[in-house]
Amino acid sequence: MTQDSNESELQRRMAPGALCLEGFLGTDPRAAAEILAADRAALDAMGLTHRDLAEPLRTVLDLAMTACGRAVRLGRATLRPDPAGDLSATCREAMGRIVCPFDDGLFPKGEVELLDGRTGECLTVTPLSVHLIAEHGFYQGRPSRYRLEPRDIARMFGLGPPER
Amino acid sequence: MQVERGQPLLAALRERDVFLASACGGRGLCGLCRLKVLHGGGPPQPAERRHLSAEEIAAGVRLGCQVRAEAGLAVEIPPKLLASRRYQGAVERIRDLTHDIKEVRIRLVEPDAIDFVPGQYVQLEAPPPSDDAEGAWRAYSIASPPADREHVELIIRLVPGGLCTTWVFRRLREGEAVRLRGPFGEFRLADTDRPMVWLAGGSGMAPFRSLLHHLRKKGAARPCTFFFGAVALRDLFYLEEFHAAERRLPWFCFVPALSDPAEGDRWEGETGLITEVADRRLRDAGDAEAYLCGSAALVNAARKVLRRKGVPPERIYYDKYN
Repeated sequence: MTQDSNESELQRRMAPGALCLEGFLGTDPRAAAEILAADRAALDAMGLTHRDLAEPLRTVLDLAMTACGRAVRLGRATLRPDPAGDLSATCREAMGRIVCPFDDGLFPKGEVELLDGRTGECLTVTPLSVHLIAEHGFYQGRPSRYRLEPRDIARMFGLGPPER
Repeated sequence: MQVERGQPLLAALRERDVFLASACGGRGLCGLCRLKVLHGGGPPQPAERRHLSAEEIAAGVRLGCQVRAEAGLAVEIPPKLLASRRYQGAVERIRDLTHDIKEVRIRLVEPDAIDFVPGQYVQLEAPPPSDDAEGAWRAYSIASPPADREHVELIIRLVPGGLCTTWVFRRLREGEAVRLRGPFGEFRLADTDRPMVWLAGGSGMAPFRSLLHHLRKKGAARPCTFFFGAVALRDLFYLEEFHAAERRLPWFCFVPALSDPAEGDRWEGETGLITEVADRRLRDAGDAEAYLCGSAALVNAARKVLRRKGVPPERIYYDKYN
């Protein structure tokens, strides 16, 4: 398969209705490759890697998913259960699994709502979205249900340089 | 059987109404579409080596999505797979069980009856959401008893962004035609008279409803405690039905629990994760067998509790729905 046909196949899998109802690109007019490059640049500007952002998300996701729907309070610095913590993560379980659009894995459906009690900011995280960030540097198109802005993740976990 | 040369076996068999299990659409990711190749098929592909043990490969086990049809290819198809069929049905009733769970009752039209074992599931076809998209088949445990051969009832929870559940919640109406295939699955009661522990959360309720009505109709009397968990009162359903069964059936005990009751729920029942409730309520369960249905996290937590209570692993049966 050529580079072009790889990209068009990826674009097809990310379209609405291919693997999930809304797809992975939202109404973003950019191609997947352009989204990847723009988010890569945003991370470089913060001095962070995709894995720097994916790892805390994965920790939170694992804790929330084992709590079977009960909210888990977490300390922001430790990312461990802490009744006085600022962060709260709640899993909404769902039936079934979803294929990664890059065709390298199958992930449980369901989502975790991560709420910052100090600012009121909220991120919606799924097992697939953490995989997409960690393995493919893909944060999804704007606006889509599971788009995660690199800057929002960094702010949630206190990563990267302070914002001005 | 004649099929097109080079076609993946999974697809070739499906076209002839032989349905191998698959959760990834034939991409070699789920490892479910196993079958035994007796002759031909070429060497195992990398995707197969990730899912199959050396012993399985040596025994001829392959993934149906990775084997391509060729002249002289011989495979062994378990007879149970030949029992699965396509069905045309009509939606007889849709009712809300909770804010995000619906019960869909389907009358079978062609064929007009199904034979299944409680615990098995069917796949429901959702039509393509747009002209340039494809339809999707999704699996749902049958919640109705097998004695009602002309109907299947499904318990469907809305999955955010889900192709099938969004269609069920937004578009599907009573009277509409639907397509199903099945039955599938190995989750079923062992043929013993041991006491039973059932444990489920959310739409994991479905197989147990089918089982309960089946056992009642059979006049069975196996002691059974059913732990059913939800977050808040708005997430519980079939409460009256199961409490009524508990009153009628001396062998059946129903224990619903809420992990995080909302203000105003006035809940006087058990609270905590359903696995914590089972941990508190079960004494020595070494003689019991256990049946679990729910998310992987729930099933894994329940297995740990049951092992502590003395249930040996070979008597813990489960159906993880993700």
